[in-house]
Amino acid sequence: MKSISIDVENLTVAYNGKVALHEATVQLSSSSISGLVGMNGSGKSTLFKAIMGFITPRSGRVLINGLPVRHVQKQSLIAYVPQSEEVDWNFPVSVSDVVMMGRYGYMNLLRIPRTRDRRIVAESLARVQMTEFKDRQIGELSGGQKKRAFLARALAQQGKILLLDEPFTGVDVKTEKAMVDLLIELRDQGHTILISTHDLASIETFCDQVVLVNKTILAYGSTADVFTEENLTRTFGGVMPHQLRKQN
Amino acid sequence: MDMQSVWQWFVAPLQYEFMVKAVVVSAMVGLVCAVLSCYMTLKGWALMGDAVSHAVMPGVVLAYILNIPFAIGAFVFGLSSVLAIGFIKSKTRIKEDTVIGLVFTGFFALGLVLVSKSPSNIDLQHILFGNVLGIPDRDIVQTAIVSLITLAIILVLRKDLLLFCFDPTHARSIGLNVTALNYTFLTLLSLTIVAALQTVGIILVVAMLVTPGAVGYLLSDRFDHMTWIAIASGVFSSVVGTYISYHIDGSTGGCIVVLQTLLFVIAMIFAPKHGLLVRSSKRLNESP
Repeated sequence: MKSISIDVENLTVAYNGKVALHEATVQLSSSSISGLVGMNGSGKSTLFKAIMGFITPRSGRVLINGLPVRHVQKQSLIAYVPQSEEVDWNFPVSVSDVVMMGRYGYMNLLRIPRTRDRRIVAESLARVQMTEFKDRQIGELSGGQKKRAFLARALAQQGKILLLDEPFTGVDVKTEKAMVDLLIELRDQGHTILISTHDLASIETFCDQVVLVNKTILAYGSTADVFTEENLTRTFGGVMPHQLRKQN
Repeated sequence: MDMQSVWQWFVAPLQYEFMVKAVVVSAMVGLVCAVLSCYMTLKGWALMGDAVSHAVMPGVVLAYILNIPFAIGAFVFGLSSVLAIGFIKSKTRIKEDTVIGLVFTGFFALGLVLVSKSPSNIDLQHILFGNVLGIPDRDIVQTAIVSLITLAIILVLRKDLLLFCFDPTHARSIGLNVTALNYTFLTLLSLTIVAALQTVGIILVVAMLVTPGAVGYLLSDRFDHMTWIAIASGVFSSVVGTYISYHIDGSTGGCIVVLQTLLFVIAMIFAPKHGLLVRSSKRLNESP
């Protein structure tokens, strides 16, 4: 029996009185990959933010490995890979600068990297095949390389829990395949991964569990049980993207 | 112009003590402002800088009236304006730029009223436009102390501040206190403005807080290089601007900022990678 890594209980989140998530409950077991599926504005990002501890819920709670999020952050336990649109790509930092930011939680106040930090950054870059681009300014990367750079930062952070927000948008097929292989490898090493994606066709190929969101958690559980035509119709309110299902 | 006359241009004014002081103070101020300006341009806080610089006005006037160090008065009001902006923004539905515009003009107007009704003889001109050629010794000491404190804090927190500008979400996710960083940054902004007041005055401080950083940003893609370029351009324009103002007997703050703006224009046109010339030639090459 696997233990529970991410435990969301009866979570209600509202912005300026408008409810974004209503009594959402979901439990994600450790060493698993969970696909987060829902329309734009269904509350996926809100769920991510709540798990990260960025927003105070109106009611309910989030426990990470049985602990409140604040404790978990101090230990750099959760790594978050943001959507590309949230990053200022003109910022004067190199790829290895960004990956080194994953190590800040382990450094002293001056954030001076030690040999161990440099080694972990190098290893993380190698794992996503980005070593040759390490000195590039981040804006000089292709879409797939940008995603891999931030994935490397998450690896360097060495958190056991990874949250990835739309990691495959703007990524070529080859990169997506390499990233999925890496995620599977990480899962096998004990990581818990929650990944939001619009690519329904690929979910069954690598997600152990699926979480369906539409203003609340409609359903969650093993992909075989939950990823059904009926559930997806509920998730997308009847406007199911049929062409995606046909590819399976 | 031969070497001899260039030498004379720089050395001759230094026979006057006031000129030595002015050059030292403006170099120091150029340095502090340049360092902070890198973070300011990356964070996009020019308007905030403009706001805080205007909001210190009543503090400076009250300090003169009450005969306390101008730095304390200015700092208290600079920080109050920041807190007021934060408070109004979070408690009302009004958008941030409106709040900023509202708060700083309110503070500035209060300063104007105080100057006009003040019994002591305060030179409004000096507060608005600076007076580095006539800076008294106690103000030099205050400027030096404030500059050193500011530089020390930035040096210690430089990586955290950079992360705060680049990716506050990640900063939070690894347990950094982003709210504390936000207010530390705003405190540094207030301190820097206090340091720069005597040199360029309230109206032009914001130029010192964004232009060197903008020059560095156009010329480099590495934050370290950007900082060194900003420092070089900031200190150069502060010092040379002070000399020019001496030789042409013109406004010191004005000369410094005009020189700085010229450096920016040169960088904007000729920057090797992000300059207008390179960009337009790239466009020509790309078109069939």
